[in-house]
Amino acid sequence: MSKKKITVDFRFRDKLNKVQGGKHHNYCYQCSACVAVCPAARFTKNFNPRIILLKALLGMEEELIGENSAIWLCTNCYSCYERCPQDVRPIEVIISLKNMAVERRTAPPNLTKLSENIGKTGVSVTVTSAVRRMRQELGLPELKDIPIEELQTILGEQEPQIFQEEEKNDK
Amino acid sequence: MGEKKKVVPFWGCMMPLKYPQMELAIRRTLPNIGIEIVDVDGFTCCPDPIYFKARDKMKWLTIAARNLAVAEEIGLDVITMCSGCISTLKEAQYLLDEDPKLKDEINKKLKKIDKEYKGTVSVKHAVVMIRDELGIDVVKKSLKKSLEGIKVGIHYGCHLLKPSQIMHVDDADYPNILEDLVMAIGATPVYQKESLLCCGKGCMDADIPLEMTEAIFVAIEESGADCMGLICPTCFSSFDLGQLMIARKKGKTFNIPVIYIFQLLGLAQGLTAEEVGLHKHRIKADKVLEKIV
Ligand code: SF4
Ligand code: SF4
Repeated sequence: MSKKKITVDFRFRDKLNKVQGGKHHNYCYQCSACVAVCPAARFTKNFNPRIILLKALLGMEEELIGENSAIWLCTNCYSCYERCPQDVRPIEVIISLKNMAVERRTAPPNLTKLSENIGKTGVSVTVTSAVRRMRQELGLPELKDIPIEELQTILGEQEPQIFQEEEKNDK
Repeated sequence: MGEKKKVVPFWGCMMPLKYPQMELAIRRTLPNIGIEIVDVDGFTCCPDPIYFKARDKMKWLTIAARNLAVAEEIGLDVITMCSGCISTLKEAQYLLDEDPKLKDEINKKLKKIDKEYKGTVSVKHAVVMIRDELGIDVVKKSLKKSLEGIKVGIHYGCHLLKPSQIMHVDDADYPNILEDLVMAIGATPVYQKESLLCCGKGCMDADIPLEMTEAIFVAIEESGADCMGLICPTCFSSFDLGQLMIARKKGKTFNIPVIYIFQLLGLAQGLTAEEVGLHKHRIKADKVLEKIV
């Protein structure tokens, strides 16, 4: 048997416990049931939900929420949640880790672009004049106004309201 | 048909803002099976269960709870037509109902705008409402054209079914709900072995999503289907435009039309391809349309 010492970073695990959904990482008993159904694991050797949970149990902060972490390869398919016998909800633990990476500013730059619309406009997709035209052509009703002020009030922060972006992705 | 069932649609973003043809198909077909769509003000993005949730789960939950609170005030049942919306709204309800402390915390935020999530609203995917509340026979009774012999390779994707402890739709490994619907529509569902595989959209990698989509179309091709029948707008973007990307990047051409189940229903109800917005798809469905009598 190797005498290599294993250290566990409980401070990191405590932090993970406090993020919504993170606490369930404690229940993982490393059975690999999640791996068998994981499409990301099927298509790349670089991703394995059991190993992510193992790293969480060991508190390996850098590996999990440092730059280029494998957590971003998860497809969000919920197969692991379906299968896990321990109610770990692996995907939810992974999303909790993503939240921590966002806070550390190590998330892929693409994520900002893909998620910033909602806080600014209340919808995830940029509203283009092309889509308004298409709706008209199909005889669909006008788009409803989005209560963005209410949204910003409950989010508790002033996200800049920049509507001039509206036409940017317009083709 | 007697009294129509009034329901509030939660449209979300993908359908009205990216694929309005899907919204069109819903608006055209549901009234024919006894559903009256009652549009309301006040909803925002569900919000998106992948990128926005990855950014901040608590904000994700707060916005979802607000949408649920808006729905509760109206007092009618809510349907969604998007697998992403139903995933967010159902999971948010599940989390808020399982954890009273979390619910209090979120409700404190909603109080700032005089709203409260109580937990009284019923939110269902449209296909679930049709199966469980109206009964699949209403679909059969609404048909005007025969889709007999059209083979539909069903694709479930992920979020309609999983996790089943939250979604309560069907057996997540051996589902029937879409096959039953396609049969009621008069077409022939065919099994394709990747019907439950993720389209890959949520994976933040340049190649893996395309590989997943490719695997799915290899399976559809093997199944001998005339078209793919799907339920999720996010899958749609991976599969319609996705086939062009596979052709460009991998030199493999499938050319399999991708049809939203409610567009298929519309065709069987006698609507034209344009009336269900099929002309907006990249992969044209002409070969399928020829078979309709
Ligand atoms: S997350 Fe669940 S399924 Fe995966 S290894 Fe741990 S206990 Fe097993
Ligand atoms: S949600 Fe992510 S980790 Fe879970 S099975 Fe799907 S790809 Fe794998």
